[in-house]
Amino acid sequence: MKKKKFNSLERTESRTAWIMMAPALIVLAVVAVYPILRTFWLSFHQMQLTDPGSGYPFIGLKNYIDIFRDSRALESIGFTLKFTVTTVVFELLIGFTAALIMNKAFKGRGIVRAAILIPWAIPTSVSALMWKFIYNDQYGLFNDILYKLGVIDSYKAWLSTADGSFMALVITDIWKTAPYMALLILAGLQMISESLYESAKIDGANAVQRLLFVTLPNVKSTVMVALLFRTLDAFRVFDLVSVMTGGANKTESVSLYAYNNLMKFLDFGYGSAMAVMIFVIVFIISLLYMRAMGDQLSE
Amino acid sequence: MKKRVKQTVACAAIVAMSASLVACGNSSSKDESNGKVTLKFSFDQGVGEPTQKIVDEFNKSQDKIQVETVLLPQDANQVHDDFVNKLASEDTSVDVMGLDCIYVSEFASAGWLMDLTDKVETSNMLEGPVAGGTYDGKLVAAPWFTNSSVMFYRKDVLEQLNAEVPTTWEGWMELADKAVGTNGIEYGADFQAAQSEALVTNWVEYIWGNGGDVFDESGNPIVDSENNIEATQIMKDLVDKYAPAGITTYAETESEQVFKEGKCLFIRDWSGFWSSGQDEGSKVSGKIAATKLPTGPKGEESHTCLGGLDLVVNNAISDQKKDAAIEFISYMTSKETQKKMTLISSQPPVIKDVYTDEEILAEIPFYADFYDIIMTGKSRPLSPKYAKVSDAIQRNIHQALTGETDVKTALTALQSGLEELSKEK
Repeated sequence: MKKKKFNSLERTESRTAWIMMAPALIVLAVVAVYPILRTFWLSFHQMQLTDPGSGYPFIGLKNYIDIFRDSRALESIGFTLKFTVTTVVFELLIGFTAALIMNKAFKGRGIVRAAILIPWAIPTSVSALMWKFIYNDQYGLFNDILYKLGVIDSYKAWLSTADGSFMALVITDIWKTAPYMALLILAGLQMISESLYESAKIDGANAVQRLLFVTLPNVKSTVMVALLFRTLDAFRVFDLVSVMTGGANKTESVSLYAYNNLMKFLDFGYGSAMAVMIFVIVFIISLLYMRAMGDQLSE
Repeated sequence: MKKRVKQTVACAAIVAMSASLVACGNSSSKDESNGKVTLKFSFDQGVGEPTQKIVDEFNKSQDKIQVETVLLPQDANQVHDDFVNKLASEDTSVDVMGLDCIYVSEFASAGWLMDLTDKVETSNMLEGPVAGGTYDGKLVAAPWFTNSSVMFYRKDVLEQLNAEVPTTWEGWMELADKAVGTNGIEYGADFQAAQSEALVTNWVEYIWGNGGDVFDESGNPIVDSENNIEATQIMKDLVDKYAPAGITTYAETESEQVFKEGKCLFIRDWSGFWSSGQDEGSKVSGKIAATKLPTGPKGEESHTCLGGLDLVVNNAISDQKKDAAIEFISYMTSKETQKKMTLISSQPPVIKDVYTDEEILAEIPFYADFYDIIMTGKSRPLSPKYAKVSDAIQRNIHQALTGETDVKTALTALQSGLEELSKEK
C-alpha cells in the first residue's frame, strides 16, 4: 500500500517534470535538432534554390562525392588544416608560457589577468578589421614597426600574397585566442596543490624537474580540454578570413566555402553536404582528443 | 487542489511560450479598422532616412495604402541573404523590396519576382538600368536609383603639366609617367582590385572599353577573346607599374583613402565620391574633376559599370497587394519623387529629365558632366547564376593581377569555368 502510493507520487512527479521541461525541449527541438536533421536531409538532395523547377530530387551521396572531385573544396580543407595546426601550436606555447607567468604571485597580477583577456573579448570581425588596417600597405603599423627595426626596406602589401596573407591570419588569430588558452591553462595550474611542489623541493627537484614532473602531468587534462576547444574553433574559422582576405590568395577556409555555396550560390544541397562534412571532421577530432583524455583518466 | 493549480500554470506557460514562438513569424498585414492595404517595404538602411521621408509623403498623399518600412543592415550580402530566406519559403511578410541590381536575374529565374511589364512606366528612364531590370524579355524590377563609376582626376596636376585629359589607357599611363613625383603624386593609378564584387565592376569596364564582353548576345561566354586578354593586360600593367602595392587588397574605402591623401593621379570610383572625396579632411578638395573612363586600343567607346537598387515585388503576395505595390512603385519612380529623392539623398536618379532639371543642376552641378557618363552605363552580365559568374571572375582575375597565373591562363580558366556553368542545368 505504501509502496504503491510512493510509485504514484513518483509518477506524478516525473510527469510534472516533463511538463516543466517541455517548453525548453520544444525550443531546443525547434532551434537545434530540426536544423541539424534538415541539413543532413538537404545534403542528400539536389537543391539549387534558383532552379525550383528541378523539384529538388534525392541524389544519394552525389554531393559528398562531388566534394572530393572539387579541387577548390580540397584546397579549402588543406588550408584549414594548415591554419588549425599552425595557430593551435603557437597558441599552446604562448598560452602556456603566459599562464605560468600569471600563476606566480606578483604585484598587479589581477590587472594583468584582466588585461590579457581584452583581445579575446573583442568580437572577431572587429579585431579582423583592426588588423586588416594594421597590415595596410600605406599606413599600417606592422610596416611601420618592421621598417623602423630595419627588417624591411620598404612598405609591403602583406595581404596581397598567399604567404603574407597566411602569416597575417595566423598572427591575428594567435593574438586573439592565445589569451583564452592562457586563461584555461591558468585555471588548471591553480588546481595543483602547493604541497606537491613543496615535497618535490624537499626531494631535491630543481625548477625544470618540478615543471616536467609536477606541473605538466597535473595540468595535462586541462591542456587537452583547452586544445580540444581551440582545435574545433580554429577548424571552423570563418569571420577572420571573411573580413581580412575574403578568401583571396588561397586562404578560403572550409566554413567560408560552405557559406559561399549556401548563401551566395544558393546551392543548398552541396553547401549542406560541406557543412555535414565539417561536422564529421570536427566530430573525429573531438573523438581523438576524448580518446587521449580517456587514457589519461584511466591511468 | 494545489497540484492542479501547478499543472494548470505549467500548461498555460507552455501555451504562452508556443504562442509567442508562433507570433514571431506571423504579423497581421492588413489594417482591418479602416480597410487600408498595408505594404511592407524592405531595403538597406544606407538610404533609410531619405526613403522614410518619401514614404511618409506617399502615405499622406492617399488613403488606400499604408506603406511600412523595414530597414536591413547596409550590406548587400546580408540584404540578399535576408530576402533569399524569406522568398525561398514563400514568406509574405515582405511585399516590396529594394534589391541590388545584380541579383535581379537570380531572383527572377527562381520565380520570386512579380512581372511588372506594362505596369511601370519606363520610357522616360535611363536605358541601362531598365535593361538590367529585364529578365527573359519581361520587366521584373523597376529601377529606383542607379549609380555608375567615374574617372576622377587631379585637375591641378593636369593644369600644371599643361596636359589634355586623356581618353585612352595609354594616354593615362603616359601622363602618369610625367606626373609621378610632382605635386606629391606617388601613384599613377588608383582603383579597386581586392577579390570582391568591386573587382568585377572594375574589370568589366576594361574589357568593355576594349570592345570585349563576358557573354555574347546568345549568352555564351567569350572571355578568352583577344580584346579581353589585351584589356586584362592593361589592368595588370596598371597594378604592376602604376598603382599602390596593396591595390589587390583595396576595395572602395582603401582606394579612396590613398586618393584623398593626394597621392594618386586618378581614381576610378562611384559617383558619390564626388562629394565624399572633397569632404573635410580630404587633401584634394577643389582639385578634382570628372571624366569618362578611358578606352583600350581596340575600343571605340567606354562604358561605366552600373550599380544601384531596383524595386521588386514579392510574387507570393495577394493580387490586391500587388495592385497596391504597383501604385507605390509608380509613385517612387515618378519624376517628382525622383527629383525629391535626389535632392535629399544625392543618389543618382533613373529618370533622365531629372539630370537636366535646373533646380537639380543648381544643387548638384556635377550632374552636368555625370549625365554623359551615366548614359554610357552598362549592367554587369545578367545571369541567373550571377553569384557563380562573379565568383569565377573574382578568383581568376585576382590571380592574374597578383601574378599567381599569367593573364592568358587566367582567362582560359575563366572561360572554361563559365562554359561549365552554362552547361549545368
